[in-house]
Amino acid sequence: MSSITIFDPAMCCSTGVCGPSVDPELTRIASALHKLEAEGVEVKRYNLANDPAEFVQNEQVKELLKTEGADALPFVFFNGHLQTTGDYPSNQELATYFSIDPQQLETKKPKLKIDLKSI
Amino acid sequence: MFERFNPSPEALTPFLFFTGKGGVGKTSTACATAISLADQGKNVLLVSTDPASNLQDVLEFNVQRDPKAVPAVEGLYACNIDPEEAARMYREKMVGPYRGVLPDDAVASMEEQLSGACTVEIAAFDEFTTLLVDTSVTSQYDHILFDTAPTGHTLRLLQLPTAWSSYLTSSTHGASCLGPLSGLQEKKTAYSESMKALSDPEKTQLMLVTRPESSAIAEAQRAANELLEIGMVNQHLIINGWLEALKTDDAVAKAFYNRQQDAVSKIDENSSKSISILPFVSHSLTGIESLRTWFSLQQEELGLQNETPSLPAPVHSIDDYVDSLIAKNQRVIMTMGKGGVGKTSMAASIAAKLSEKGHSVHLTTTDPADHLSGVVANAANLHVSSIDPKKEVERYTNQVLTEAAELSDSEREYLEEDLRSPCTEEIAVFQAFASIVAQSVHDFVVIDTAPTGHTLLLLDAAQSYHKEVERMNGQKTPDSIKQLLPTLRDPLQTSIAIVTLAEATPVLEASRLQEDLKRARIVPSWWLINQSLFAADSKEPVLANRATEEIKWIDTVQRKLANETVLIPWHI
Repeated sequence: MSSITIFDPAMCCSTGVCGPSVDPELTRIASALHKLEAEGVEVKRYNLANDPAEFVQNEQVKELLKTEGADALPFVFFNGHLQTTGDYPSNQELATYFSIDPQQLETKKPKLKIDLKSI
Repeated sequence: MFERFNPSPEALTPFLFFTGKGGVGKTSTACATAISLADQGKNVLLVSTDPASNLQDVLEFNVQRDPKAVPAVEGLYACNIDPEEAARMYREKMVGPYRGVLPDDAVASMEEQLSGACTVEIAAFDEFTTLLVDTSVTSQYDHILFDTAPTGHTLRLLQLPTAWSSYLTSSTHGASCLGPLSGLQEKKTAYSESMKALSDPEKTQLMLVTRPESSAIAEAQRAANELLEIGMVNQHLIINGWLEALKTDDAVAKAFYNRQQDAVSKIDENSSKSISILPFVSHSLTGIESLRTWFSLQQEELGLQNETPSLPAPVHSIDDYVDSLIAKNQRVIMTMGKGGVGKTSMAASIAAKLSEKGHSVHLTTTDPADHLSGVVANAANLHVSSIDPKKEVERYTNQVLTEAAELSDSEREYLEEDLRSPCTEEIAVFQAFASIVAQSVHDFVVIDTAPTGHTLLLLDAAQSYHKEVERMNGQKTPDSIKQLLPTLRDPLQTSIAIVTLAEATPVLEASRLQEDLKRARIVPSWWLINQSLFAADSKEPVLANRATEEIKWIDTVQRKLANETVLIPWHI
């Protein structure tokens, strides 16, 4: 079974609405992960503020944190292998790796509400 | 017309909540009830849930987080739920084991995230739940009395079980904004049990303490209704400070007496609540003995005072303060202090005087229990507004969802879910507060802040926000938020006025508030002593004796606490 594991920086909530302003990137990745999960990918997310034990138990993460610092979070693992640090993977990246239709992860643009006949 | 409040243990439920506007004598009433129950052979636990607790002042005993036996009262135990302390302990429990294990910057970022308003609120609530549902605690006592926080905060605290529980039920993606308390899911049972206990009239009784004044009674009524909504149906109204009969025809005493008769005449007699009274006393209600005799006290035998005592040092008038604001061009004015000391009327009076002198003024309140409307008439250059938490949450939710317009449906759903979290209220109110302070560029801004506990939480939010802003400088943050703390700290721009009464509890609490503000590098300068019977110069013995009691507190404020002191006479 394919899996994705993310070690997040210390956050109050994973969408960032508790911060001074909402980070759309956090919403995007949260939503994309939710869809990946629906496609059968095993998704695990650990937040430094709430799940510090996971950061200690995983030797690779513990070492990364020591060498790269907390600013280098998030650490993203695909099937147990380190994929990226410092950023969340793009939807394209996720779709390619987990061989699913990128359309399924893609953001739906708001539909044009203008009726062409009225122009 | 009303019975004296002097309850027998049989008439009282295991859980008793004392609530009411600050300064109405809630803590004294709770303490006296606890002592009375213990004296009748019961095991009693007295708990303060006020972030700025004054239990130790009233009991004259160092109250701690864990229940401790109160010396001199067999069977009485007391403890204090301090939200800041609870949050600190929770933070330490989470972070402590990782010090030295994880790198320092990682530990620091954990601590930062766990210092927000959400953590404080939740950690306090968590302790509160333990006292309601943990049988190893509840089985030890016949009665547990909660001397709750001032009304607005109490409501939020008591509404939390409903908020969290329905949040947990409707959460489909698993906990996200429940972050600060990761163990929350496991506690779901405890939370729904506390809701059950709160709404069971056999288990829980709400004691609404009030003064014989219309505004205090109206506020008690509002609190009663809101608590009724979350199911607290067993309610009792206690009118504290009842003046039984006058001995002179002194004008102040008559006004005092008439106001009291007028206020109770407006009480809805059809309401199902039972009502009782407690007598006005001239001495301060602190210490076990004076609390013990209070319920059975007959009207005090006091002689007329012949000589009028004088103050050790001269005091200012409110006009002196307003002139100083104008001279220094301090455009942000905040009135702060214990609830019920008259912050609202002081703010209104300052705003009115500024506008009379031709300045453009914005008067606003962050008090969750809004009582600003009706205090001042709108002049052309005086704009009055209030920060209503419910409306602010709505505004914030809409703003976030609009900014997120390009999101897909499921992303929106996800976001909406986080927005339903109770933490959102802190953020929303905070933003509104910041944007009003930012208006001082154009106007004088006078802010009537919420009662002490809530104010502390609000300012603490301001501070952790400030750190957050520095950390996340890559993101767009409104200027109003970036400028907030620097503005509040700058004495060239901001004047913080501490409002108090010339009584033990309000002065002691205000001095603690001043210390807390100083830690946040916000320095108050003027103290406004409101509703002074001394300044009103009454000849009625009970009032004159209370006036003499005021002197040592006026003196304390002048000598130890304030740079400048204003004394405002008692008036209707």
